[in-house]
Amino acid sequence: MSAKQRLAQVVGIATVGALSLGLTACSGDESGGDDLTTIGFVAVGPEGAWREANETNIQDTFTEEAGYELKYAPATNLDQKSQIDAFTSFVDEGVDVILLSATEATGWEDSLKRAQEAEIPVILLDRGIEPDDTDLYVTRIAPDNIEVSTAVADWAVSAFPDGANYFVLEGPAGVSVVNERNEGFDAVAGAQPSLVKVGAQTANWSTEEAKGVVETVLKSNGNDIQFIFAQNDEMGLGAVQAVQEAGLTPGVDVKIATIDGTKNALTALAAGELSFVAEYNPLFGETALDVVEKVLAGDEVESSIVVPSATFDSPEAAETALPDRKF
Amino acid sequence: MSANAHGPFEALKGLVRRQYFWGIVAIALLLLVNLAKDPGYLAVSVGSSGNLVGNVIDILRAAAPIILISVGMCLVVATRGIDLSVGSVMVVAGAVSMEFLKGAPDTVGSGLAAIGLVVVVSAALGAVNGMLVSVVGLQPFISTLVIMLAGRGLAKVITGGQNTTATNEMFRWTANGHVLGLPAVFLLALLLAVAMGLLVRRSALGLMLEALGMDAKAARLAGVNRRALLFTVYILSGVLAGFAGVFATASVMTVDVSRTGYQLELDAILAVVIGGTSLAGGKFNITGAVIGAILIATLDKTVVFLGVSSSATPAFKAVVIVALCLLQSERVRRAFRKRRSAVAVRPAEREKVAA
Amino acid sequence: MSESLPIVEMAGISISFPGVKALDEVGLRLFPGEVHTLMGENGAGKSTLIKALTGVYRIDEGEIRISGEPRLLGGTADAQHAGISTVYQEVNLCSNLTIGENVMLGHEVRGAAGINWRATHRAAGETLEKLGLGHLNPKQALATLPLAVQQLVAISRSMVAQCKVLILDEPTSSLDANEVEQLFTVIRSLRDQGVAILFVSHFLDQVYAISDRLTVLRNGRFEGEYRTHELDRAQLISKMIGKDVDALKSLDAKGARRVRSDAAPLYSAKGIGRKGAIEEIDIDLHRGEVVGLAGLLGSGRTELARLIYGADRPDTGEVTMNDEKAEITSPAKALARRIAFSSENRRDEGIIRDLSVRENLILAVQARRGWARPLPRREQDAIVEKYVSALGVRPADPERPIRLLSGGNQQKVLLGRWLATEPDILILDEPTRGIDIGAKAEIQEYVAGLADDGLSVLFISSEIEEVVRQSDRIVVLKDHRKIAELEGGQGVSAESIVNVIAEDGLGDPSADTAVREEVTT
Ligand SMILES: Nc1ncnc2c1ncn2[C@@H]1O[C@H](COP(=O)(O)OP(=O)(O)OP(=O)(O)O)[C@@H](O)[C@H]1O
Ligand SMILES: [Mg+2]
Repeated sequence: MSAKQRLAQVVGIATVGALSLGLTACSGDESGGDDLTTIGFVAVGPEGAWREANETNIQDTFTEEAGYELKYAPATNLDQKSQIDAFTSFVDEGVDVILLSATEATGWEDSLKRAQEAEIPVILLDRGIEPDDTDLYVTRIAPDNIEVSTAVADWAVSAFPDGANYFVLEGPAGVSVVNERNEGFDAVAGAQPSLVKVGAQTANWSTEEAKGVVETVLKSNGNDIQFIFAQNDEMGLGAVQAVQEAGLTPGVDVKIATIDGTKNALTALAAGELSFVAEYNPLFGETALDVVEKVLAGDEVESSIVVPSATFDSPEAAETALPDRKF
Repeated sequence: MSANAHGPFEALKGLVRRQYFWGIVAIALLLLVNLAKDPGYLAVSVGSSGNLVGNVIDILRAAAPIILISVGMCLVVATRGIDLSVGSVMVVAGAVSMEFLKGAPDTVGSGLAAIGLVVVVSAALGAVNGMLVSVVGLQPFISTLVIMLAGRGLAKVITGGQNTTATNEMFRWTANGHVLGLPAVFLLALLLAVAMGLLVRRSALGLMLEALGMDAKAARLAGVNRRALLFTVYILSGVLAGFAGVFATASVMTVDVSRTGYQLELDAILAVVIGGTSLAGGKFNITGAVIGAILIATLDKTVVFLGVSSSATPAFKAVVIVALCLLQSERVRRAFRKRRSAVAVRPAEREKVAA
Repeated sequence: MSESLPIVEMAGISISFPGVKALDEVGLRLFPGEVHTLMGENGAGKSTLIKALTGVYRIDEGEIRISGEPRLLGGTADAQHAGISTVYQEVNLCSNLTIGENVMLGHEVRGAAGINWRATHRAAGETLEKLGLGHLNPKQALATLPLAVQQLVAISRSMVAQCKVLILDEPTSSLDANEVEQLFTVIRSLRDQGVAILFVSHFLDQVYAISDRLTVLRNGRFEGEYRTHELDRAQLISKMIGKDVDALKSLDAKGARRVRSDAAPLYSAKGIGRKGAIEEIDIDLHRGEVVGLAGLLGSGRTELARLIYGADRPDTGEVTMNDEKAEITSPAKALARRIAFSSENRRDEGIIRDLSVRENLILAVQARRGWARPLPRREQDAIVEKYVSALGVRPADPERPIRLLSGGNQQKVLLGRWLATEPDILILDEPTRGIDIGAKAEIQEYVAGLADDGLSVLFISSEIEEVVRQSDRIVVLKDHRKIAELEGGQGVSAESIVNVIAEDGLGDPSADTAVREEVTT
């Protein structure tokens, strides 16, 4: 049927287009040669406040004053192909270090091997890869998703001593963050018979989609849900709106916990709409700088560096943290 | 053939012959599946605020933005074009309105001003499409692909890469409010779709678009002004996508620069095809596109209601859509029919003359 | 002609379409080594009978025997296997392929490594040669050819495969005398090799020149089968239309010449031309005057017409209408200035297949008004009623998609489309292509009447006699330029025009650019 051929074409060409845009995005100026260390940053790009804070922080750390030239290559619409493309051209260009925040966990082996052959050290920021072959990169700097989501589960266990039905709003299927956040959460919550998981759905990190999902999920469960675990703040905020639309009170009828700890989420926590926010600390530019310097000096570094993160479990805690919240 | 039978039976037969009939059947089947899971699925109750509440109402609300872009897409497809930029126009519309409202007072006036701004910006994007297609002469596919890619970039520039949030009661009402208990967003979308239908069928726009889509060369010689028509349809499609963007962002009062409207062009194309408009252009069917859009919303909602796991969702949707397309396909239908009617003929022109 | 057994025998064939009984117990016999002509008015069922034979349409009743065996074919390809080659009424080629590819489609020469394109194109060249098309480059894109040549290419294609039966549905509708002669030579030689040929044409001269036997259809019914020499023209016509032939007398009577007023021309072009299409030319059109364009195939008649209508953009020259400068760069602009152009290429540039008769009829009027001012349904119906009856469109069902009409009836609807715009200048390129002789006379009379009332007509026909008969003034074209302009009248005949064309370029070389040769008596 021609409709479907056309569709396939749409998808195909769109990918090619995205790819070529990715290329132009990173094959930029070749100017700063004078003794600056060149860093290629294969980034995720606009995805939400958390990412924004994270990537700005990295960019603000690796400045020319600090002796670096940072080449920032955000993905086109979170598309992995555009990232692989940017990565490859950084290798071809011969940058000194590559920082990588992968949009998708799998499919990086070949690219990383190329970097290895070219003797370019790769440092993973935030997002891990699968299979997690530590020989292929120097280290991964990230807050520990498992630790963070375990904190959410721990809170849930204590917040619902009499048990609860809960629903999970996931990020896109197949992303390592999602897998890790599920893993940490399920390890604790799954072991607690009084906590009953009524389902899990992706809302693609999006407020709008999360609202739509929660709206339907509440109906399909006759509003019998006491707890929603949103794997990021945006989805949690969408859940808040859906709960309100359904005539329930978030924080009272349905408690919502989120991960990330953006300003918007803390504001909602302060207002009592969210009940628990686990920070997933984006500000690890300093740590990254430290690691890069060590690597360039030839020092050994741990294959995994965990960035410490805080949790906020009350409106008061949120209010205290809000004034100097950076993201 | 009895000439004077005009009962409800005949009307039903007429409906069955429509391509979008199978879309209606598919919607009904999906609802049945949901009903099987929960016998109260179709129940609509009056909520605390006097508004109707129910799964069906949610579906209508979710369908609203898809209805708008599908109607626009339908007109473009009639001219043998395609508008891949609708999703990106949505995000630009969202970005423009959220950025505007962020700094504006929470009044009806600024809500209306934001919508006005969206109309202007989305019409401008539509006009760029129209120009690339009709004046520059690029293929619609490429022209609108350019805007599709550039549009999302533009939205990011407008919000500075942020997912901007704003408050405005009036603006929020468009997506969350109610009129006579029904979701305003659905009524507004329906109103716009009906307005488009009237515009197209009461004026000669529909005829001109069909003529252009069926045979551009003959239409040109008949004096049909191709350029003006293409501008018109791409602008209409842009503005409708702008409204869709307003609805999508007003729902949560947040524009998500990488997610709002993302890949919705594919939904719109599907809705148009399900509605019985051929991508080869020519005859088009706005009612069909609306039904296609509702089907897609029903499908999305069903996936969530049934709790299909996230990783299985795309496959589930694909299966439903492929099944539907097969049902619609002449050839498959004919294979099902026991005996071909004696008068069925194939036009000679379709025949390959060579052996 | 020996009375051997018929190779094709159709008996009692009936086919119904919704609302129309297209064929009602029709019979047809084709004998080897004979040219058989199928005659009948527009919509009589000729094309349908052909499609019944090749299996494009299923028959409701009746029997088809091929070489004595009852057999139902399954379509054009199947028919080809059974040795029946068909060229349908509408040129049916792939305009985005080359000439050679079109001719050889399905018969490509294969080598060890797939298709041998070199050999394929060579074979195509040889086939084309037979129809006197040796000068064509088989690698050229088909779309670049004039319609008449495309028609010949389509015919060439049907001759690639060895066949026992060759069917040609109105193959000559856009050919001029020379090409017709060339085609007939080929047909005769095939006939002499024992091929049975079925031929459809509305040109009686051609019918009498080529055919051995006739079958006449009327209104979907079999009227009779005759030896051509047994039936004279008058008898034939009355068999076709079912009444006496007086109505057709006017065909031959030369209408009184219109007297041209001395007023300034309605339309005047100075030096308009377009590279590769037509050299710079001057042409004036007056109210109430019929100007004919005469010339051989490829002389630039259609190109000139398209230029005047703005279908192609002129590169040079100036146009004035009613003494003011006019920019006519698109059909829409021409229409706004009340110029109408009926293209010779009905299929590609005329009808919009999937629209109804009514929509096709009002399309140009509506396009001129713009989409925002729809023509009220009442006015649409008035237009439809007027032209359906004036032009005798059958069936007179305005909501029927035009593609379901017979070729001649489609042509009538197209003429109606242009007449409905009530133009000041009407450009007619082969306007009566495929229209039967009865309707043709009526239409010519109708147009002549409009000219008497002040319409300015530019008339193109590959039949020089028709041009002479119709025109008050004749512009003769050759090799994309104007070689003469003749005032119509007693002194001008088809022969004199042919002479003008033949002599051009032979005589005084200094006098050959745009000579204005006034032949008056
Ligand atoms: N596919 C179809 N569906 C419905 N009606 C049809 C179809 N094809 C032909 N007809 C009708 O059948 C009748 C015979 O048409 P046909 O094309 O055979 O005429 P024809 O003798 O070839 O005429 P012409 O000289 O104009 O080519 C016409 O009334 C026509 O409208
Ligand atoms: Mg015919």
